[in-house]
Amino acid sequence: MSLKSSILKKSIWVFHLNTGSCNACDIEILDALTPYHDAERFGVKLVVSPRHADVILLTGPITAESLPKVLNAIEAAPRPRIIVALGSCGSGGGIWHDTYSTIGGVNKLLEILKERGIEVDAVYYVPGCPIRPEALLYAVAMIKGIVSKKREMKIYRAD
Amino acid sequence: MSIKPVKLVIIAGKKGRVTVKYPFQEPVVTSEFRGEIEIDPAKCIGCGACVRACPPNALELLESEKETILRYFVGRCIFCWRCVDVCPVSAIKGTKNFELATDKFTDLYTLIVHTRVICELCGTPAETVKMQRYITEKVPISEEYITTCPTCRKKQFVEKVATRMVGFSELKK
Repeated sequence: MSLKSSILKKSIWVFHLNTGSCNACDIEILDALTPYHDAERFGVKLVVSPRHADVILLTGPITAESLPKVLNAIEAAPRPRIIVALGSCGSGGGIWHDTYSTIGGVNKLLEILKERGIEVDAVYYVPGCPIRPEALLYAVAMIKGIVSKKREMKIYRAD
Repeated sequence: MSIKPVKLVIIAGKKGRVTVKYPFQEPVVTSEFRGEIEIDPAKCIGCGACVRACPPNALELLESEKETILRYFVGRCIFCWRCVDVCPVSAIKGTKNFELATDKFTDLYTLIVHTRVICELCGTPAETVKMQRYITEKVPISEEYITTCPTCRKKQFVEKVATRMVGFSELKK
């Protein structure tokens, strides 16, 4: 179990930050909070202010318009500051990775945050277009150290 | 008009438990669900048909002097499975796996490394070794010119046609 997990072994309060997504991932977040999937089993609670949040659920490819507000919201979150990038747009820019009006995913955002001197303790990536509610529950369980990581980098030689 | 607590308990008792115990049980996945793709390195020939079909450029061909790398970045994939349809050797297979969450960015990559062949005439790198074999199997006559790169092939062809049109002695001048 890592340091982050030991910090977050209690209830995780999440702040939902939409940075210009198509609302598919946002609906799946709400689905994860319904009684059918019930993310509150793990102590996940949606809070209205980033000042109360442990984890920021970031959806969308971060449009140029939303960037200043995103920076303000992340700066307002207390330490340890953890970002969970949801969906293909959040984790890698998705289908908008090279358009003029988006900055393309959380990795570019981290560079901008570093320039401003805002530290982020951990980033979790949850690919999916849109993510299934189970994928979000899996990520939450992974943060809490209940399940182990399945995905790892694979390098094959073709011949 | 509110339901009395006793009535509520009876309704809840009839309905039973609805919450799924997901991380501790198998996920409910329908037959139409599309998850991450799986590339079979034994079958892949590195032709790049999937790279052209991929809408978000999750599949990319990175070319260097000696190697061609097919890079699959699942963090950008939208799971449309167009690559599964276009693959000429059906090396790409769709799976129902969606548990892809990681805390490390590099975990999202899958790399398939191909060796490139070198043109006999000019020495520049051309297509991959496996693609050359694939072409030779499909089109046996191509054995005559497969060892050269497309540019040299074009040059050779033009020279041949010119020889026929003008005559060898004229061309030499």
